[in-house]
Amino acid sequence: MTTSYGDTLIKVQDLHKIFGDLHALNGISEEIHKGEVVVIVGPSGSGKSTFLRSLNLLEEPSEGRVYFEGEDITDKNVDINKHRQKMGMVFQHFNLFPHKTILQNITLAPVKLLNKSKDEAKKRAMELLCLVGLEEKADAYPSQLSGGQKQRIAIVRSLAMDPDVMLFDEPTSALDPEMVGEVLELMKKLARGGMTMVVVTHEMGFAKEVATRVIFMDEGQIKEQGSPEEFFGNPKDERLREFLSKIL
Amino acid sequence: MFEEFQRKFVNNFITSDRWQYIADGLITTLKVTFFAVIIGIIIGFLVAVVRSTYDKTGKLKILNALCKLYLTVIRGTPVVVQLLIIYFVIFGDVRDVSKIVVAVMAFGFNSGAYVAEIFRSGIMSVDSGQFEAGRSLGFNYVQTMRYIIMPQAFKNVLPALCNEFIVLLKETSVSGYIALQDLTKGGDIIRSRTYDALMPLLAVAIIYLTMVIIFTKFVEILERRLRSSDH
Ligand SMILES: Nc1ncnc2c1ncn2[C@@H]1O[C@H](COP(=O)(O)OP(=O)(O)OP(=O)(O)O)[C@@H](O)[C@H]1O
Ligand SMILES: [Mg+2]
Repeated sequence: MTTSYGDTLIKVQDLHKIFGDLHALNGISEEIHKGEVVVIVGPSGSGKSTFLRSLNLLEEPSEGRVYFEGEDITDKNVDINKHRQKMGMVFQHFNLFPHKTILQNITLAPVKLLNKSKDEAKKRAMELLCLVGLEEKADAYPSQLSGGQKQRIAIVRSLAMDPDVMLFDEPTSALDPEMVGEVLELMKKLARGGMTMVVVTHEMGFAKEVATRVIFMDEGQIKEQGSPEEFFGNPKDERLREFLSKIL
Repeated sequence: MFEEFQRKFVNNFITSDRWQYIADGLITTLKVTFFAVIIGIIIGFLVAVVRSTYDKTGKLKILNALCKLYLTVIRGTPVVVQLLIIYFVIFGDVRDVSKIVVAVMAFGFNSGAYVAEIFRSGIMSVDSGQFEAGRSLGFNYVQTMRYIIMPQAFKNVLPALCNEFIVLLKETSVSGYIALQDLTKGGDIIRSRTYDALMPLLAVAIIYLTMVIIFTKFVEILERRLRSSDH
């Protein structure tokens, strides 16, 4: 089903995450391939965020392995920071740096981590800002932006590192309804441009339109997955049917 | 009435250039406060970094325990006692140790404990999402602290830091316990010469009050500035 896509980018092997006595992830094995847009859905508390955050080790797995571009990043000797530079992450609450201008938000990491010159980083930042139509906000501060604009800047900030994959954790859940569209549009643009994406979202329209694969998580496990057509047209798992009947 | 005042004023401040006790004392007080604040900020910063690194990552366990001990002892004992211990116990055998240096050390060491908690609360007040955003971009722990957390934390605590400076300024008035001639001691010396308590002590009080009012005003302006640039 996923063989039509490129090489394996992320490979997860028997992943477990335990918080105290809570088994948040209960044995997940999965692969993400180049060019895929994988949407993860599931009820609240099913482990979607924990799974996504395990992919760049923001959440340290209790057990299991995560491979990124062929390297075991759960290995203690691996420089995780180098790998994270190639894995962009977008959060529900944007997490822009409030003490920095939009331009500084975008150029900070490329300048400090990729040793780009300020001019070079700025040039790239302005290109990206033009892409999202926010070039006139370059010198504004995050507090001067709407939620939708903040999230688009957060996406740009990640893109400035030229990541190989983008991870999204409910990027539109904190937005006013009228701002959801502009963020989804940008994400669709990225998907069409060939960006590999893993997206946790409740936006079923987005899943149907741009996902190459939809995953249903429940109780810390992947219970079902498939192409959007199969997934929404012919769900097999009982809990998934229940979930879909509630959400659609 | 006015002539009585004039006579007392001359006797307390002009005769034998007694005003110099006040002037020299003021300079000593400002010197001690200034350098103690610098030491306090350095110690406080280091302690706060150790404590919050331990809270966030579980590393630096032993250092963290030492810092906790330091905070407990310093905040649990009077500053005068600390001053006396440093002067008579730690430097007890050292002849001609500068009293100013002792006072700077005592007050700096003392202030460090309070500044540490100010810094720590500042670090804690920065949303954890900021830390995650930094780490997810590929910054390591130290870089995230340096470029993202600390600038925000520092801005949050700047008014509290200035208040600590004001507190310290007043606290140095116990320097007389080690016979350091600070502002308070200067007034007290005049009192012992003229047998007039009111005028020299009133002068001392007015000088402290004036400085505190000026610094408080400064803090208010700073707070307003910070709030208006609160991006
Ligand atoms: N840091 C943590 N400490 C303790 N428990 C946690 C922590 N993070 C997550 N959990 C728990 O792990 C389970 C899975 O959480 P997770 O955030 O991954 O769910 P989710 O599917 O993203 O839910 P939602 O749709 O509400 O975001 C939940 O029961 C949650 O309470
Ligand atoms: Mg979640």
